[in-house]
Amino acid sequence: MVAIETIALATFHHMVLAYTALLVGIGISIPLAVLSLYSRRFASVVITGANLVQAVPSLAVVAVFVPLIGIGFWPAILAIVLRALLPIIKNTWIGLSAVDPAVIDSARGIGLTDWQIVRHIRFPLAYPAMFAGIKFAAILANSLAILTAIIGSGGLGSIVFEGMASVNIAKLMAGAVPAICLAILIDATFSALERRLTPSFMRE
Amino acid sequence: MPSPRLFERIDRVELKNLIKRYGDSIAVDDLTLDVTGGELLILIGGSGSGKTTTLRMINRLIEPEAGTVSINGTDIRTVDPVALRRNIGYVIQQIGLFPHMTVRDNIGLIPRLEGWDDAAITTRVEVLLELVDLPPEMFIDRYPRQLSGGQQQRIGLARALAMDPPLLLMDEPFGALDPILRKQLQEEFSKIKEDLGRTIVFVTHDIDEAFRLGDRIAIMHDARIIQVGKPEELILDPASDLVSKLVDADRKFRHIDNLTVRDLMRPVTRRYFFEGGMPIGPALLAMMEDDLGLVIVTDTASGTGILNRRDAFTHRNDPVTVGDVARRPLVFAPGDSATEALRVLKRKKSPFALVMDRETPAGLFFSDEVLMRLI
Repeated sequence: MVAIETIALATFHHMVLAYTALLVGIGISIPLAVLSLYSRRFASVVITGANLVQAVPSLAVVAVFVPLIGIGFWPAILAIVLRALLPIIKNTWIGLSAVDPAVIDSARGIGLTDWQIVRHIRFPLAYPAMFAGIKFAAILANSLAILTAIIGSGGLGSIVFEGMASVNIAKLMAGAVPAICLAILIDATFSALERRLTPSFMRE
Repeated sequence: MPSPRLFERIDRVELKNLIKRYGDSIAVDDLTLDVTGGELLILIGGSGSGKTTTLRMINRLIEPEAGTVSINGTDIRTVDPVALRRNIGYVIQQIGLFPHMTVRDNIGLIPRLEGWDDAAITTRVEVLLELVDLPPEMFIDRYPRQLSGGQQQRIGLARALAMDPPLLLMDEPFGALDPILRKQLQEEFSKIKEDLGRTIVFVTHDIDEAFRLGDRIAIMHDARIIQVGKPEELILDPASDLVSKLVDADRKFRHIDNLTVRDLMRPVTRRYFFEGGMPIGPALLAMMEDDLGLVIVTDTASGTGILNRRDAFTHRNDPVTVGDVARRPLVFAPGDSATEALRVLKRKKSPFALVMDRETPAGLFFSDEVLMRLI
């Protein structure tokens, strides 16, 4: 058996790992998506880059970092962040750029600055798409945070891998079940948050 | 930070030798045009004639390749474009209301960015809603998708007037509306226009609209202006076949002596009829929903009356009925001569009359509309 405290600590560790990576991912993606609005070339570089990272298998992303920056918490964060970028960037960018051109034209015409258009018009209209992207990235981060145990990130993944190595089903489950519960929790929380934040004009 | 008030009133907007190309095609070719303060100048032309490009160079949404635009003698390139646009109203055909904002926030956004406080914004929004004939208490908290096309366009106009700009640019503002509603908004707009006393540059492709609203009309074709003048100058002295074809000069005044009131009246359908005993509040609501400017009131003490929306609007909170507020109109019979009817309208200074076929209202006879159809 695995002690409850060990599971709790691993779960906490897992959450710190996944959510730090998610926050860093959001922090990088949203500015990139906003900048992509202003330059078609920049947009294509960003989207191609994010697509490329997404196309590489998760395990390979994790593995590539070992020779580059070693093992431990921060390499794991970096690996997760890279995976989380694409859904956030792509959805934010699509949300921001899909605004009706007439709305943008009239906003500029009555005297909003470029930044005010992003802040007061594009962002509120992009929230639903952005949120869908962040939710997907959160689920990705949660599953990848298990995998990064093989490069020494610790957390629930360590328990899972130890359980597998020693064919100890109880131990395996002690790592896997909390991770599955977290995934469900993430989905539910983000769905609730999404409903709350959806602008009232879109609700019936 | 508040934008400076760039001009209290417009003396002159000068467009000088403007050139704008898109790739190989030329959108505006050496265009020179003077807009006088206080006038409504129409830019009319087919699609691709350069009229919208010209309009958008006035608020720097498009920068010309060569030439200058100056307002009261100031070259607008020396002015910050955002400050410039906050001093110029802008209305487009697609309206472009912000779908995630209420009517209050749509109209109040620029005042808010200018640092006004909430109370001042609400007051301003209410004034503007009254101006465009929408009761503030009904509309201020609605979202754009809860508005009809005509109501959205009214809000678009109110939003353009939020900062009380002395210059207004309008790009086919009524173009997307159905013909009856368009006529009605044009009529209301020409009334509002008098109150506003602003300088307006108005783009359209509809010659009727141009004649109805314009003080002067500039006709554009293939990126150039081919003639500028008052409506009657274009009719009486067209610069080219193209102009005379556009204003349809041959048709004017052709049969006026043979026409009767019936030929020129606007027939009315059932939705134009309201019972005299109806309270004023619901009547105004019904007029709003159907976008009606005038209705015919039956069964009043003094016979058939006319209720216009302004009156209904003014009395909307009073405990009165439609019959109390309705006015007695001039009445013609369908067989009356149109010229005679026009003469009577002019003498009585009435913009319209009711046409009665014996005891039944048959239509409405508008003097300006009659003139439009003759010109």
